[in-house]
Amino acid sequence: MLDKNLYYEVKNPSPLQLVWQDLRANPISTATLYILGALLIISIFGPLLAPYGSNEQFIDAVSLPPAWSDQGDMRFLLGTDALGRDMVSRLMHGARYTFGLPMLAVIIAALVGCSLGAISAVNVGVKSSTVKHLLDVLLSIPSLLLALVIIAVIGPGLSNAILAIALVFIPQFLHITKNAIADEQKQPYVLASRLNGVDNRYLFFSVLLPNIIKAIVMHLTIALSAAILDIAALGFLGLGAQAPAPEWGAMLAQSLEVAYNSPWVMALPGLALFVTLISVNILGESIRSALDKRLGS
Amino acid sequence: MSRVIIRQLSLLLITLFLISLLSFSMSYWFPGDPVTNASGIPIDHPRYEEVFEKRGFDSNIAHQYISYLRSLFEGDWGQSMQDNSEIWDELSLRLPATLELTVIALAIALCIGPPLGIIAAKYYRKPIDQVIAFISLAGYSVPVFWLAQVTILIFAVVLDVVPIAGQINPLFDVPAVSGSILIDIALSDIDHKWIAFQNAFLHIVLPAIVLATAPCVLLVRFTRASAIHVLQQKFVKGAYARGLSTAEVMFKHAIPNTMQPVTRQLSTAFSVLVTNVLITEVIFSWPGLGNWLVRSIYERDFPVIQHGLLVLASIILTVNVFANILQAWRYPQVRQEFYAR
Repeated sequence: MLDKNLYYEVKNPSPLQLVWQDLRANPISTATLYILGALLIISIFGPLLAPYGSNEQFIDAVSLPPAWSDQGDMRFLLGTDALGRDMVSRLMHGARYTFGLPMLAVIIAALVGCSLGAISAVNVGVKSSTVKHLLDVLLSIPSLLLALVIIAVIGPGLSNAILAIALVFIPQFLHITKNAIADEQKQPYVLASRLNGVDNRYLFFSVLLPNIIKAIVMHLTIALSAAILDIAALGFLGLGAQAPAPEWGAMLAQSLEVAYNSPWVMALPGLALFVTLISVNILGESIRSALDKRLGS
Repeated sequence: MSRVIIRQLSLLLITLFLISLLSFSMSYWFPGDPVTNASGIPIDHPRYEEVFEKRGFDSNIAHQYISYLRSLFEGDWGQSMQDNSEIWDELSLRLPATLELTVIALAIALCIGPPLGIIAAKYYRKPIDQVIAFISLAGYSVPVFWLAQVTILIFAVVLDVVPIAGQINPLFDVPAVSGSILIDIALSDIDHKWIAFQNAFLHIVLPAIVLATAPCVLLVRFTRASAIHVLQQKFVKGAYARGLSTAEVMFKHAIPNTMQPVTRQLSTAFSVLVTNVLITEVIFSWPGLGNWLVRSIYERDFPVIQHGLLVLASIILTVNVFANILQAWRYPQVRQEFYAR
């Protein structure tokens, strides 16, 4: 049998692999990776994993507290809400709306925004600082307000909210990519590649992209946390997901009336939202510090 | 410096022009008749013809835009489609209420945020830093509507130390002059003014604290990061080597340098504040702009949406530009950056 590794070679991990190793070495960021992985699985397979349907009512079990209290029932681990719906099932169904859809929206926005930004940076090369400052000022309008503008035009609803969020984040990614490329293009290594006679496609994918990935990844985590918060806020205000949908923000809005009698109906979706957001933020923070360490500031 | 001011003000003018253009075109994007969407006068209303002509809808679109601007400056902002109230009158009562809440929350955030960040950086990687860093990360991640619900449940329902919602107990019957409740009480000539003040204070304290949380933790994070960076610089070591006390090093050398990147983020903190004020007002039934705007989006009350969004966006843009000017005035380094093309 031939040994594939015939020659001894020193394998130097690439900077991105080093970043990954740094992330895995830190127990807290590893924990957030597991939490987010579990959330991702729940948002894809949630309806299969959940014990009951999201709107399945149990007339004999209305407003049951979680199972560990005296009045609890083991059938409903985290209790039921005022309409006798199982909280565990609703939370699991809701992960799709509150975590899955914003993630999808941000990924789509990143793909569209980054490609548009790259095209505009590589092809046009506008160096106008006026346009840059103008965009800076316009982008200072918070994303929720912009989403409200779009929803005001196309009307409330979950699909409209997702569309609005995706549209809102496109200019941000465009701006970030364009600025990052504009900064990198001044570097000598880009000039060297140009002198080597590479075409624009190679210049972008093999020369520029590895060097701007840091800015994009950093903004990706910020945008994801903002998108989750926005979709939940819209659901809470009644402008996103509508009443029976188990979106966590909408669940919080419905829990307002029963918060005193059955506080767990209010506490659980908020806690789920909090854990999700803190995981995304901690992961973003660890990625940022790892990238800073490995790729330079 | 004057160059920076002129440049920033012209930037503000251009962005405000773009925003007004957006607001103007919204009456076309909304479903239904553009005249009704802009003014709130339905088609079968007797004044419809008059408004149609006044808004220039018998002429081309440029003329329409100019007429729109004219009515904007004249204070003729149309009327709400829900209750036929004049938008300008309603707004001039609601905007001060929102600003009151915003200013108080901003003041709380500014008083607490930066000092905590500097303390955390001073004791970098000590227990006190870890506690502050964790609280700021948690505060950054907690959704404001949940925080509001939990604090209402704890402080208003269970402990019963503050009222649940609203601006003041309606028994006080304070006439609405400016919209901002504290100013209104000061202006009014009701009996028991002092008790009314106390009541209004109890009403405002919970929403203001909830609202201050997000910008406050944001400022803690920015200040901490910036102060850690500054404290590692050589001039700090040099200052210690010259025999200055810790207090002198901190107040004369470290803190002024720390605040430069933090002032840059003040406008970020302000936009977070404005986002959250929309939600906070809804939960606390605060009779402000955000509450009104959210309800109007829900009810599809187009004239209100159009003008409410215009006002909010202009406030944010104006604050942003003035934060830039402040920063350029205070820090010559930043001014150089603004000069650079």
